[in-house]
Amino acid sequence: MAHATATVDMMHPPAPAERGLDVYNNKLGMWVFLASEVMFFTALIGSYIILRFGAPGEWAKPGVVLNVPVTAFNTFLLICSSVTMVKAYAAVADGQTHFLRFRPFSGGLKFWMLATIIGGAMFVGVQAYEYTHLVHHGFLPSGAREGSEVAELVASGVVPAATIGLYGSTFYTMTGFHGFHVTCGVISMAYLYVTKALRGKYSRHDYRGVEVIGLYWHFVDLVWIILFTIVYLI
Amino acid sequence: MTTVAATSHVAHAHHDDRSFVRKYIFSTDHKIIGIQFLFVSLFFLLVGGLLAMQMRWQLGFPGKPMPGGGILPDTMAPGGVLLPEYYIQLVTMHGTFMVFFAIMPLLVGVYANFLIPLKIGAHDMAFPRINMASFWSALLAGLIMLAGFFVPDGAPRAGWTSYAPLSARPDLSGASYGQMLWCVSLVFLGLSSILGSLNYITTIINNRAPGMTWFRMPLSVWALFITAILGLLALPVLSGAVIMLLFDQTIGTHFFDPVVGGQALLWQHLFWFFGHPEVYILILPAMGMVSDIIANGSRKPIFGYHSMVFAIVAIAFLGWLVWGHHMFMSGMNPTLGSSFMVSTLIIAVPSAIKTFNWMGTMWRGNLRFHVPMLNAVAFVAMFVIGGLSGIFMAATPVDMFIHDTYFIVAHLHYVLFGGSLFALFGAITYWYPKMFGKLMSERWGKVHFWLTFVLYNLVFFPMHTLGMAGHMRRIYDPTQYEFLKPYQPLNEFISISAFALFAVQAIFALNFILSLKWGKRAPQNPWEDNGLEWSLPAPAPHGNWETVPTVYRGPYEFSSPEVPEDYLPQYRKLPTDREPARAPVAGH
Amino acid sequence: METAHRKHPNYVLIWVYLAILTAIEIGVAFMSHLPKQIIIPALVFFAVWKALLVALYFMHLKFEPRKLLILAIVPLPLAAIFVLAAMSEHVW
Repeated sequence: MAHATATVDMMHPPAPAERGLDVYNNKLGMWVFLASEVMFFTALIGSYIILRFGAPGEWAKPGVVLNVPVTAFNTFLLICSSVTMVKAYAAVADGQTHFLRFRPFSGGLKFWMLATIIGGAMFVGVQAYEYTHLVHHGFLPSGAREGSEVAELVASGVVPAATIGLYGSTFYTMTGFHGFHVTCGVISMAYLYVTKALRGKYSRHDYRGVEVIGLYWHFVDLVWIILFTIVYLI
Repeated sequence: MTTVAATSHVAHAHHDDRSFVRKYIFSTDHKIIGIQFLFVSLFFLLVGGLLAMQMRWQLGFPGKPMPGGGILPDTMAPGGVLLPEYYIQLVTMHGTFMVFFAIMPLLVGVYANFLIPLKIGAHDMAFPRINMASFWSALLAGLIMLAGFFVPDGAPRAGWTSYAPLSARPDLSGASYGQMLWCVSLVFLGLSSILGSLNYITTIINNRAPGMTWFRMPLSVWALFITAILGLLALPVLSGAVIMLLFDQTIGTHFFDPVVGGQALLWQHLFWFFGHPEVYILILPAMGMVSDIIANGSRKPIFGYHSMVFAIVAIAFLGWLVWGHHMFMSGMNPTLGSSFMVSTLIIAVPSAIKTFNWMGTMWRGNLRFHVPMLNAVAFVAMFVIGGLSGIFMAATPVDMFIHDTYFIVAHLHYVLFGGSLFALFGAITYWYPKMFGKLMSERWGKVHFWLTFVLYNLVFFPMHTLGMAGHMRRIYDPTQYEFLKPYQPLNEFISISAFALFAVQAIFALNFILSLKWGKRAPQNPWEDNGLEWSLPAPAPHGNWETVPTVYRGPYEFSSPEVPEDYLPQYRKLPTDREPARAPVAGH
Repeated sequence: METAHRKHPNYVLIWVYLAILTAIEIGVAFMSHLPKQIIIPALVFFAVWKALLVALYFMHLKFEPRKLLILAIVPLPLAAIFVLAAMSEHVW
């Protein structure tokens, strides 16, 4: 066993060890990383709550500036991709690494993982569409663009002028970083799909990558569940 | 059984055949990464020191041309006379470099990386490639920060705490790109720290050698573990804050601008919610390493090992609840302020427990004042002074007078220099043989220690007096105030002592560099210590051990009645020892 | 050793719950005749419920060692302390 560093990264480490947390390294590492991500979103979402609580005036009513129906669909899409992700995990844990079988009908890892990637990519796409739409109508991170539709809403009092700047700042920062995290997830998952899943590197004996990327994916979905509620609905 | 026979049981890993680049540049070996952090951080320590020297010139001799100032451009120091705009850049960057790029990486980047796998009996970190990414991210962050000096309008000017809205508005601060680079740099540094932390935490939880139970871990490892948790949870808050600040600076958001509904105090809450755990990150590893060194130098077990562990945990836990004591004068809710006063006074208790335990360790010990021990004992004494001045600040009514004065500057330098940096001098000397296979010169180490100790106190103790007199922080010219003019001789005295202090560090630098080539070859266990790392040859080979050692006892079995030597390594098996309770399992 | 649970929870059922809860949330959000003091806690309650479903079932926290659950929970009180403390600036 000459090159120990090359062999450390395995589902069951080769070295004898004290009993740890009964959770293999990659999974423990991902949970630890997610704890740090909770703190990152705490800074962003917490600031939003603090700014809104201490705001100099009323916040815009839900649905006036933002498109709730489209985002509701997007939320549903992300939740679906979380389900396909966990189906992918269940499939590989049961040894089902195929794509599709027809008699009986069953999806394997390769199918469900692809579905997740597509779902995630669609979510990002819809968000990108939403952003362009909002910017086009004059809703910017700095508030309302002069002479735009949103500026007219502000002028007419439908959207409070005192808080439109904060509204834009917090909206774009929170949803933007969430979208960034989804994008990183899609890219990572696509990478694992092509280099590992499609090449048959996952099996019921070693599916760590699937489980670990799955945890990240569910976390991103979880953050969105919170964000959707407090950004779009409250 | 002799020492030599005992160590020969622990077989170390074979030689490795990687290329030079994979071995020393893009290395995933935790020891190399630790050494990379060491060289880079010492460089930034030098940068921070040079910035401080310029500050001390201005404070000691305001308005006089600085020797060597001719090389600075006219935007900074025309004719060698420092401009106020440049002075405030020095202030900002001195703090920034010292905190983020010197002390933090020296304590964590170097010693978490180098020591953890060695001291718990692992081949390497849980995620070696992420470890490598952590180093390169930190280096990138440092270079971005340095670049701040070379962009239009120069380095950031809002202090290392970068309060908004000053830091968000170039029209107010005078710094534009520099202030943005500060934010970008810290995003990368945060990433580096978070990646490092997740490695340290996972490795310590899951990769301890058989027999290395939680309460047999050395206190240095405990401290690094708790520090990693602090870093994991605190740095992301800074990242978020700094991103919001960057957006305020660039894309017109309004997080911190009160004119448009933002909250300036929000920045302070965010920054200090990170900032206070950060200062515990800057002291806990030092405390842990000092514990190891003092036990070794006293030839006695650490007094109150369990209470030391609980004190570390208590400090880390309470550290989340005290951040507002940096904000007593900010105009925040007074009731909230009172709660911070209470929590801050409470947090002195676990630190005091540790201090008494160090003293209890030394009491009636068979003291060996080798260079690491000298530095470790100085740590305890200086930390007590720094801690006591901290009690003054904890009391809000007192803080009203001393906030933003040199009393605070004295406090923070007593804990960061008198504390962390002395601990680092000791730690660097202590683990140098394991890193490089050579010994640093004991004689020059002692010369460096005594000169540094005396001069350091001459520099920073008088700052308590200045602060009490009302000498404010970050000020360019103290003589502009009548009430400060009588204290100008003291400022001069401090500056001259500071120049001497800085010059004396050349002894340490030369000792460090020259010993690499010409130092005495190090024996395997020069300090006769008990940790697992001393079972390996010096320098330790790639992969550390062929098979991880088994651990039979705690780390501080000095002067044990069971053996004739005055130390008993953790990995040495005595006839009376049993194998660890759980049979080693290849998996967990 | 990773305990490979043979029986997976019914993920499709959890998905149905999530969809229903989302629909309820949207409904509540647009019932503008209700006071803010009812709407906001209700929405937060539903959001937390959904988040718990994802964390416990999709992320398997329900089936993992207890210590992992504790690790995952640790940041939450910190987040709460920070937000509440900073909010208190505006209370009085």
